[in-house]
Amino acid sequence: MNLRRVTIYLSLGLVTLVAPRWSEATLGEPAESIARDGEALSAVARSSTSRTGYTIAEISSATTCIREYVTTSGTVFAVAWNGLAHPDLSVLLGSYNQEYRDALGRQPRRLGRRQTQVKSDRVVVETWGHMRNLQGRAYLPELVPEGVSLYDIH
Amino acid sequence: MISIKLLASMLLFSAIVLAAGCGGGGGGNPAPIDVVTDGSTPANVMAVTVNGSLCSASSYLNKPCVSVTICNPDLSVCQTVDDILLDTGSYGLRIFQQAIPSLALPQVANGTGSLTGCVQFADGSSLWGPIKRAAVKLGTEPAVTMPIQVIDATFGTLPLPCANADPSPVSSGFSGILGVGVLAEDCGPGCVFSSANGIYYSCIGTSCTGTTVALADQVQNPVARLPVDNNGLLVRFPEVPVSGVPSLDGSVIFGIGTRTNNTPVAPTVFPTDQNGDFRTIFNGINTVGFLDTGSNGLFFPNADPTVLPVCEAPNADWYCPPLARALLATSVGANGSPSQNVSFSVSNFLTLVASPNNVFSNVAGPSTFGFDWGLPFFMGRDVFFGIEGTTSPLGAGPYVAY
Repeated sequence: MNLRRVTIYLSLGLVTLVAPRWSEATLGEPAESIARDGEALSAVARSSTSRTGYTIAEISSATTCIREYVTTSGTVFAVAWNGLAHPDLSVLLGSYNQEYRDALGRQPRRLGRRQTQVKSDRVVVETWGHMRNLQGRAYLPELVPEGVSLYDIH
Repeated sequence: MISIKLLASMLLFSAIVLAAGCGGGGGGNPAPIDVVTDGSTPANVMAVTVNGSLCSASSYLNKPCVSVTICNPDLSVCQTVDDILLDTGSYGLRIFQQAIPSLALPQVANGTGSLTGCVQFADGSSLWGPIKRAAVKLGTEPAVTMPIQVIDATFGTLPLPCANADPSPVSSGFSGILGVGVLAEDCGPGCVFSSANGIYYSCIGTSCTGTTVALADQVQNPVARLPVDNNGLLVRFPEVPVSGVPSLDGSVIFGIGTRTNNTPVAPTVFPTDQNGDFRTIFNGINTVGFLDTGSNGLFFPNADPTVLPVCEAPNADWYCPPLARALLATSVGANGSPSQNVSFSVSNFLTLVASPNNVFSNVAGPSTFGFDWGLPFFMGRDVFFGIEGTTSPLGAGPYVAY
């Protein structure tokens, strides 16, 4: 895998935090699809960690960390975050955003809860945590590599 | 044994002595520090009712409500607002504009604009509105002037993180929220140094842009601003029978070891990290744990579905075991110690809520990650929250203890 390309791609994901109108990117897409918009970022790539069957690349702004989970073939199959604010999911979800919004709209509000799970046909989005440490993840169940536990994505 | 009356007299005496040296609490109105109002209720006690008289009708289950008095900074006008959620999982007082129509609160300035806040919650909801200075009275503690958030989704232009801001108490399920966890401000250093924090905005007209905010201008945990009882709080609820009760009376007692009524009797102290989290191990998985009165159940991952199956849709976000389950987890301090088992029980959610009861010590549901010890954890326990930057007989905050 071309790590540099992935790093650029991952950096672009951070656009969620600093340039909310970004519409390129992310879940389910290969690294190549987003290299075109690299300059806009004020975020930094912090680390890249290889695991069996995938790579985690972590990027951070001043207030939020995002971890991107990339298959060995270079496709982002999951994104997780934690920090002061949730990132803009329309960016992180890319082409999956609309079906997520539709599923969210069908789901009744649960008062008193500190987490939620929204499932559409192809994408699962979960948020949890509390003030100062909001967390969440989005993943594509069909693209999660065999042998990878969902508990590892957080 | 000291009689209540004698104790009250002693407290009153100490109040007079202390008042001489402390002046006002920031409200510009010198007030006695320890007023014993009726000879039996110390100033540092605030009533809480779970689904009781302080909650709005048709409140959701396990909702702890308090009443807070909010005044113009000069104390010229005050309003007492019920149906305020007691929340140890957040920091600061936020109140819907609709609940305080008589007040004229000055806005906190930020540069040439007015400071405005966007608070996101973990369920994806959000609250938006201007940051204003108000004199806040908790229980019969002295009024203290501090920044609060006035929730108002019609204010300015909603930024992206608050695009779905709740418009009314009905949508939120409360008239306000009183965040009294272990941290002193809602954002902290992250908003002092970064303007792209997603929480604070400076609004000029309807145009709002991200901004940095000094700690003193951020929305404050009101307990941390009290003149005396500012090092933490004690949340106290009685035990609840297994089938639940219609409503439950409890109390919040401000300060830890500052008075006779908040002196701890050897609880276990769990230091938290800078986010207010410790660790919880359940079924072999080690996750963050937090104690949150604002969550209405116990929510945790990695339950064995043969032991804790979820309920049928549309209640699949609750557990419905066929038999009541007695379970065990381990609480661990954020730095690795101490470590202590904690038992809890989970009953069938649908069976419980089929009764007229609203308050349950044994309702739980699944979460993705992190052990959310919600309101059931607090029933039958004294739970202490030690605020960051303070000390008490239990040590230096931030910590939780029970």
